[in-house]
Amino acid sequence: MLSDLYIRARSLFRRGAVEGELEEELRFHLDRQIEKYIRSGLTRDEASRRARLEFGAIDQIKQVCREARGVTHLEMLIQDARYALRGFRRNPMFAVAVVLTLMLGIGSTSAVFSVVDRILFRPLPYRDSDRLVSVGLVAPIEPQEFMLGGSYYDWQDNQKPFVAMTSETGVEPCDLTEVNPLRLDCARVESNFLPTLGIAPVLGRNFLPSEDRPNTPSVALISYSLWRSRFHMDRSVAGKLIRIDEKPTEIVGVLPMDFEMPRLQSVDVLMPEGLDVAAQRRANPGRPMWAFARLKPRVAPEQAKAQLESLFEYSLRLAPGAFRKEVHLTVRPLRDRQFHEVHRAAWILLGLVAAVLLIACANVASLLIARRSGREREMAVRAALGAGRLRLLQQAITESFALSGVGAVAGVMFASLLLRVFVAMAPEGMPFLSAARIDVRVLFLTLCASLLCAFGFGLVAGLSRTRADALTSRTSVSRRHAQARQVLVIAQIAAGLLLLAGGALLARSFWNLERQNLGMNDQNVLTATISLGQPGYPTPERQMAFFDQLQHNLRYGPGVSVVAISDSLPPGGYRHDTLFASLRVEGRAQLPTGTGGNVAWRWVTPDYFRALDIPLIEGNGFKDDELTSSDRFVVLSRSLAERMFPGQDALRQQVHVAVGAPAEQDPPYTVVGIAADVKNGGLAVGEEPEYYRLRRNRAEDWDRRAVVIVKSNLPASTMERWMRQQIAALDPTLPVETDTLQERVAKLADQPRFEMLVVVYFAFTGLALAIVGLYGLTSFLMVQRKPEIGLRMALGASKGNIVRLVLRDAMRMVLPGTVIGLALALALSRTWSSMLFQVGPHDPATYLCATALLGVVTVLAVLVPATAATRVDPIVTLRVE
Amino acid sequence: MAPERIDLPQGTLDLLILRTLALGPQHGWAVSERVQQMSSDVLRIQQGSLYPALHRLERKGWIKARWGASENNRRAKYYELTKSGQHQLEAEKDAWQKLTSAVAQVLGTV
Repeated sequence: MLSDLYIRARSLFRRGAVEGELEEELRFHLDRQIEKYIRSGLTRDEASRRARLEFGAIDQIKQVCREARGVTHLEMLIQDARYALRGFRRNPMFAVAVVLTLMLGIGSTSAVFSVVDRILFRPLPYRDSDRLVSVGLVAPIEPQEFMLGGSYYDWQDNQKPFVAMTSETGVEPCDLTEVNPLRLDCARVESNFLPTLGIAPVLGRNFLPSEDRPNTPSVALISYSLWRSRFHMDRSVAGKLIRIDEKPTEIVGVLPMDFEMPRLQSVDVLMPEGLDVAAQRRANPGRPMWAFARLKPRVAPEQAKAQLESLFEYSLRLAPGAFRKEVHLTVRPLRDRQFHEVHRAAWILLGLVAAVLLIACANVASLLIARRSGREREMAVRAALGAGRLRLLQQAITESFALSGVGAVAGVMFASLLLRVFVAMAPEGMPFLSAARIDVRVLFLTLCASLLCAFGFGLVAGLSRTRADALTSRTSVSRRHAQARQVLVIAQIAAGLLLLAGGALLARSFWNLERQNLGMNDQNVLTATISLGQPGYPTPERQMAFFDQLQHNLRYGPGVSVVAISDSLPPGGYRHDTLFASLRVEGRAQLPTGTGGNVAWRWVTPDYFRALDIPLIEGNGFKDDELTSSDRFVVLSRSLAERMFPGQDALRQQVHVAVGAPAEQDPPYTVVGIAADVKNGGLAVGEEPEYYRLRRNRAEDWDRRAVVIVKSNLPASTMERWMRQQIAALDPTLPVETDTLQERVAKLADQPRFEMLVVVYFAFTGLALAIVGLYGLTSFLMVQRKPEIGLRMALGASKGNIVRLVLRDAMRMVLPGTVIGLALALALSRTWSSMLFQVGPHDPATYLCATALLGVVTVLAVLVPATAATRVDPIVTLRVE
Repeated sequence: MAPERIDLPQGTLDLLILRTLALGPQHGWAVSERVQQMSSDVLRIQQGSLYPALHRLERKGWIKARWGASENNRRAKYYELTKSGQHQLEAEKDAWQKLTSAVAQVLGTV
């Protein structure tokens, strides 16, 4: 075995030496034979002649010896590779074109795959993650499933389909109150949380059930990154006492590096929920929480849902009547819970990039065929000299492997660049995107893609067969090659139009999104989001005092015209939500059944409407003297007023906003104004009715969160610095987030913008590649047809005639391609209608634009080489013929 | 003239080469001469099959090659039997004897 390897390797790498030795060995034999004949009495010439005759063809012996040494396959491969390289060096433009095309195709594929891999394919970082499900209730108020403490513990005790069921009660900001205080994200989880997910701490231990109770000493698990950044990976950290929100807390363990919350919130510290379970069981509805469970073997999520149905029915009986019809049970795989919204976008992206790869491959195949037909004579000569069909095919495949190899390497580099661009562009709502990287899985895919491409091209190029007639005829075989290329160009144009239509639809949709009327003016408005820490501001009084002082300090700032404080801002993001059924007009009966859908509300100060330029349609809104009143005041949005007071005057009416609560918690509010509707459900989704509660100078109206709104005619950057200074003057440790309102709105459009840019990028890449394909084929055909064109012109055809002729031929590819592309786009675009805003998936104008753009560039791609071809002198071409 | 010569099948050629080299290291020409001598000129090995066979046996590790000086002081490639070559020779000899005796038996009974 070893000798075998040594000999093969030596033959391969020391080819010269081995050949020399073989030569010497055979020469020695011949000489000895000649000597022998001379000794037996022959003359030198005679002896030499006879020995040579006996010996036979020395080259043939050498070849058989080489084969006996078993190197021919490898050697042939190297020979082919050398041959290929020589070919590339002779025609570098060809090689560059192929490698660039492959780089675009393979690079885009790899980049997209690395992004969607986490969403669609890669296992979640939990043990047997496909057995994990998210369990809960879905209601209009919260379309993502949640649980309530009043039902959760009953379900946990009585459920059948799960091995284990666990919960978390959300992530809240908390403070590490030590030297160098730090704002952290603290998650509260049940003690069986980590075991159910199948995660073991890398250091220390999990919580004990006895630690997950109210009024027990505080314990915490810290994230790997906190362990690294704050504790320098000190292994003695387990058992260490730290202070979280002033409370001494023992670190019991460290989470693994790849730990993720099931709902993907970012988290630094895990702490036990510490709920009073007995009280929760009695409570109705109880603490909101999010539940996850591990399915028993061979139980599907649907079966689990069916088995939970009776528990759900029981819980529903306890729910308020308004809820019952609109609440549903959901059990779905954890992956669906995490990526529900982006799932479809990910598939679409993958489909688009597949189309780009297809176009790129078609281009390369087309280029190879073109080169092949350019080398037809060479091939025919080689075939005539005895190169086997298989040998030529092998050579073609070697050549395409060499090209794909280089293309794949360039593609991986391009992919990492593209990925960096994606991440830089990506909105914050796509946390998995920044985690996307080119890893072994992606490299493996790239390898597979390039091998597949290589094999495909090699086969296409190699099988376009070579016949002896190529030695004599001039054009017939080239024409046949051209037919194969025409099919490829039709496919390219179809795929290009599909991409273009998709890109145009998304661009149109994004344009609509950006241009829509938000119902407010976002110019010259600066906002600061402040969340006061527990230690410094333990009571609502302290919180109100801080904001009051801040408002006072800001009011007389440079160029400041309006200062207002609310607790949230339109058009998207957080706001309070309640049900229409919770509202009631004083002196009128409540609505009969149903929740009536969601109603948004905010706490605002009187100048809120002026700050955002929200017109007050009726009434004057809040007045300053109401700030000190013990009465309560409310402004309704126009849509809410129309619903509550159809055809009546709402002003000065009394309304209740917490129907169902005890009387002392449901005081009457006086309507003091009706404001125009403002977009408040995000950019794409429609508006909800809304009401505004006046934030009076009373502690009960304040909490730790507030958004300060400042309108000023100074530049935003100046204002921002000044505002930060003012806040820091009051409390230098306070974390503040400042944005202009325009930035906040733009941030909401981040995801659609990202989707649009990515799709448009692919559309143009695909289009460019398709055009290159068409251009390449037309130029190639022009060269082939030069004599014909010369002849036509000599017979009196004008340049216009020739161009028309060429165009007509090109249209035979463009028209079927366009028709197929349009059909495909119309059929497939329904799948992405959920990504579109105010534009139908079959919007005629968009399709018309995409088709027109494609038409113009295809005509250009044909006209340029066609007019160049008419510039030839007919005499010259005819003389060549 | 020499007696009538027989062309050798490949397996037999390998056996003869191994047997010849069992007598001591030899270069290719000497191997062919020796076979010719030992078979009283009946067996003659074509160069076209001798050298590929030698290279093949070398690759299988039954013989190994080294360069040495020949009788007339020229550089020549000498082949010698390896351990596994000796085993192979024994095995092939056995097989050959079984074959010939069986063939002889068949021919004898007819």
